[in-house]
Amino acid sequence: MALPDRIPVFLLSGFLGSGKSTLLNELLAEPSFHDSAVVINEFGDVAIDHLLVRQGETAISQVSTGCLCCAGTTDLRATLFDLHCAASAKLAPAFSRVIVEMSGLGDPAPLVNALMADRHGAETLRDRTVDTVFYLAGFVTLYDIVTGGISIDRHFEAVKQIAFADRIVLTKTDLAKDPATLSDIAALPRELRLLNADARIYDRRDAELAALFAPRPYSVVERGEDVSGWLALEAALAAEELHGPASAGRDRLSRHTSGIRSFSIVHDATIPESRFLQFLSVLQQSAGQHLLRVKGIVGVAEEPESPRIVHAVQHSTSAPVRLDTWPDDDRRTRLVFITSGIDPEPVRALFSAVIGGAPSPFGRLLGGIGDAFAKPLSRISSYLTTTSRRSS
Amino acid sequence: MTGFVNPLAPRSSRLMAKSAEIKAWVRELMDLPDGTAVTVAELACRDEGCPDIETVIGILEEGRPIRTIRVHAAMADATRDAVAEAIGQGPGG
Repeated sequence: MALPDRIPVFLLSGFLGSGKSTLLNELLAEPSFHDSAVVINEFGDVAIDHLLVRQGETAISQVSTGCLCCAGTTDLRATLFDLHCAASAKLAPAFSRVIVEMSGLGDPAPLVNALMADRHGAETLRDRTVDTVFYLAGFVTLYDIVTGGISIDRHFEAVKQIAFADRIVLTKTDLAKDPATLSDIAALPRELRLLNADARIYDRRDAELAALFAPRPYSVVERGEDVSGWLALEAALAAEELHGPASAGRDRLSRHTSGIRSFSIVHDATIPESRFLQFLSVLQQSAGQHLLRVKGIVGVAEEPESPRIVHAVQHSTSAPVRLDTWPDDDRRTRLVFITSGIDPEPVRALFSAVIGGAPSPFGRLLGGIGDAFAKPLSRISSYLTTTSRRSS
Repeated sequence: MTGFVNPLAPRSSRLMAKSAEIKAWVRELMDLPDGTAVTVAELACRDEGCPDIETVIGILEEGRPIRTIRVHAAMADATRDAVAEAIGQGPGG
């Protein structure tokens, strides 16, 4: 196929762990979406998400481990230009749409500004190409019914992700079984309308994915006064950053509190699956809501050729997913942690202690994760001691 | 029990409620006309010695460049006094 003259770009957002990669996998499995280019953006220093998304023969995956929203508008525009150049030169398959999976911590304002042609003086070939070819054709935000309420109460990025959307999808609704929870879900659209009056809201269970990613006009005006204001403020701050008197030597605009951080653990040897789950359980119990996200791929001792994909969000852990084979040549366990107020060192020490099975001062290790977690320490320490005795 | 809480009432985000409160303070303190839009956002602060996060307020007046006011506190912690002080310090807070 040839490259279309005009190519729609869809933004897929949702706070950490809301199910973006899962939805994207399902979407790309549909034959009519095989001609999609996918840009996956992660907040972290080890790229994992691209391994979790199935890449069909025609899908292109560009991965940035920086944060597009922090890097400003240029990175997304540069990525789109690169995709177009590669397909035009037949170095990569042609595509008829682009889906940008935003970081779970992503601020939509700079990305929406990046896709608004009238906000740029198209001075360079790159800008002219991006403005002429690509257009924002939809903004889909996933809202996790389990942790979404906490996220929009605590994280301004989560509020913005809802406010910018023209389609909102309630995810993990299949977990709701009891009448009270089902009633809560029924009330959610009314709550979300306080943040976004006009978006269409769908239940993940019966949402037609192809329709969510059908091109339509994306109107900033319809998103309301807050969205227009954030876009204008974003543009003003970006200009201030670029041209302001104190711009020299400053870091690029950062949108996340310094308390939010990402770190990784890479482990060469395979791990007994039960020990890994024990590590995750202990970490979740002690860190709670400060553990925003854990995701990764784990090589298990029981089946070294069949790694497990693991996901955890705050207190909630999905059952590990068994892959038939490794998605790439790297056979190491790779875990990415996104935390609020938790340092990497005690988490790494806890991992070594639990996975290595070495005698360890669990109380001190967990204490290092944070002062706020002192209460559960003795209970967890006692649990681990008992478990160690049973297994030895 | 000090008051009745309607469990069926829609629950707005605390951050958006705070944003609305800050907008009202700015309107009152600056005596802004109705046609002037006010926007509030949270960003990491880049200045040494400041808290990690700051609240950035934009004043959008027709025909004029956007004015920004920076309050060196997270949105949830911003007080009327802090907003008044930032306004008094002029652009950039």
